[in-house]
Amino acid sequence: MDTINAFLNRIGRGVGGVVGALYQAGRESIDMVIRNVLPFMAFISLIIGVILATGIGEWIADRLTGLASSLPGLLLMSIICALPVLSPLLGPGAVIAQIVGTLIGVEIGQGDIPPQYALPALFAINPQVGCDFIPVGLSLAEAEPETVEVGVPAVLFSRMVTGPAAVVIAYLFSFGLYTG
Amino acid sequence: MADLSLFAGAPPVAGINETLGQWAENFIGVFRQGAETFVGLVVGIIPLLIILLTAVHALIKMIGPERIDRVGEMAGRPGLQYYPIRYLVLPVLAVFFLTNPMCYTMGRFLPERDKPAFYDSAVSFVHPPLGLFPHVNAGELFVWAGIAAGITTLGLPIGDLAVRYFYVGLIVIFMRGIVTETISRIMFARRARGDEEPEVTAPAAPEGT
Repeated sequence: MDTINAFLNRIGRGVGGVVGALYQAGRESIDMVIRNVLPFMAFISLIIGVILATGIGEWIADRLTGLASSLPGLLLMSIICALPVLSPLLGPGAVIAQIVGTLIGVEIGQGDIPPQYALPALFAINPQVGCDFIPVGLSLAEAEPETVEVGVPAVLFSRMVTGPAAVVIAYLFSFGLYTG
Repeated sequence: MADLSLFAGAPPVAGINETLGQWAENFIGVFRQGAETFVGLVVGIIPLLIILLTAVHALIKMIGPERIDRVGEMAGRPGLQYYPIRYLVLPVLAVFFLTNPMCYTMGRFLPERDKPAFYDSAVSFVHPPLGLFPHVNAGELFVWAGIAAGITTLGLPIGDLAVRYFYVGLIVIFMRGIVTETISRIMFARRARGDEEPEVTAPAAPEGT
């Protein structure tokens, strides 16, 4: 009898643990969606609404289209975003990358930018990723203050090289994408 | 609408109320357009995102983040063969299991000189998996989803783009790790040299600070 009890007890605990983990996971994901995803969707929807319903977007879109529909244009975009002075300012929350990405998405949807430029564009809008967060990220890794002093400029300078390089790699990998 | 102007043949002049009505119509049209977009996004993305987030969060809880720590300890070793572990395996595991921004804590197992490069590598990987694993950075989903929406509008499949974004992301973070490590090594060396030479014109420390 005791062994059966112990067995049932173990099963009960096991199931309880799994259900608890799943429930907690569900709570975390709903939290994430309500706190981060939905507000951003509302914000992006408003911007798209303004862009589509008024003519404001056309001016920006013309320039973006010019930049985003050729490799040199995308390279120029990535170099601008990777400038060590600008990149920490463009980084926070990836808001700039998300807005520019959405604008380019609208243009791709309207057929102004060929769809195979989507892949290099994903990297061209984002060479500044995390440039605002270097000291915090390094502190999370328990780095010494001297490491932070070296790390901030090292990452910023590295982006000047790797930002455009990423666009070129993505461009090479976009061959055969949506052209069939 | 009947032409109410008094002079037949004259161009129809809209009354003040009609003009106002037209403005109101245009004004609300902006938000109506936005609302349509919003419904599309919520219905199209949120349900799948919630289920996927739940599954991955549950998986992470069952595996336990402490097991991934062991990989971190191994990645800190010197030697050429540990480069791919340090700037490819470790950032990918950290981003997938710990997600943004907790993934950067994985850098604590690495020696000081590699921490900036690991950060660069890890932070560059918080967007490329978004097409396949949106849980890694759901709050910044639109870096991916904005451009992907255009592809969907054209009626093209986004799967191919998502997979390629992931692969190119892998190459890019490896490259960033190596480049940033090289740059930070040079800067560390220069700093160490500077420390050895006694600074002749060292500014006097301000008192009271």
